[in-house]
Amino acid sequence: MITMSHYLVFSALLFCISVAGIFINRKNILLLLMSIELMLLSVNTNFIIFSHYSNDVTGQVFVFFILAVAAAESAIGLAIIVSLFRIRNSLEINLINNLKG
Amino acid sequence: MDIIAILFYLVTTVIIFSSISLIIVNNTVHAALLLVLIFFNSAILWLMLNAEFLAIVLVLVYVGAVLVLFLFVIMLLDVPVKKNISQKLYLIFSVAISIIMFVELYMVIFFHDFVTSVSTNSSLEFNNTYEIGLLLFTKYIFSFEITAFILLVAIIAAIAINMTERQRSLRQDPGKQILESKKSRLKILKDKDL
Repeated sequence: MITMSHYLVFSALLFCISVAGIFINRKNILLLLMSIELMLLSVNTNFIIFSHYSNDVTGQVFVFFILAVAAAESAIGLAIIVSLFRIRNSLEINLINNLKG
Repeated sequence: MDIIAILFYLVTTVIIFSSISLIIVNNTVHAALLLVLIFFNSAILWLMLNAEFLAIVLVLVYVGAVLVLFLFVIMLLDVPVKKNISQKLYLIFSVAISIIMFVELYMVIFFHDFVTSVSTNSSLEFNNTYEIGLLLFTKYIFSFEITAFILLVAIIAAIAINMTERQRSLRQDPGKQILESKKSRLKILKDKDL
């Protein structure tokens, strides 16, 4: 019997893996963006789990909004990456230090 | 062990292993294809949780649009595949942090009693899409319109970031032709200048 905790543990595991991915992939900004997508997926899964087990569709409406915002975010992120690659000819994050912050 | 449990363990194993290989792979194209696999399996998982509409949206919108956009950008940029060197410190650090985080989340999940009412809407009359639409167009109509506006802003921003002035064709520009003077075109050189 699969209970709610099984789903929640899976979702937490996915989130932790994508956090590790953000730490590891410091050389490639595209992989960083993919890790963020993975994180959003685990959060969405969490929303759906709670929506299913509490008999409330509101969580799924929120997942809908998150999907739309994530699509917009990845579109803008990829546009920034394309224009960055045109200037820099590389995708390494530690080379993006023009502002000296 | 019923069929749901077998399906659950199969799908989650595929998702976990492909996400681990996504974060350690060097080839970006392989990473994007692994992400497609993860999203398909997540759609199956969401179907098991009675979220049919969102499972279809995940496949259509995410795999069909966003990941294809990712693949387009990867093919367009032609990023060189190179080995990541000298990141052992980051690897240890990231594994430590994610293990700590997972232990914390695990403790939260198992030592907290979530109030669950086991869902009874497994009847054939229950329509997930209808329920979401009902809520979306009545209670959350303002948020829905804001979402549409956010998508419009994203389109405009993505175009505006990448719009650069470029000489595309040899088309004549009448404004420039009128502003042209004789001095800028014709230069008279005397013998002694040569």
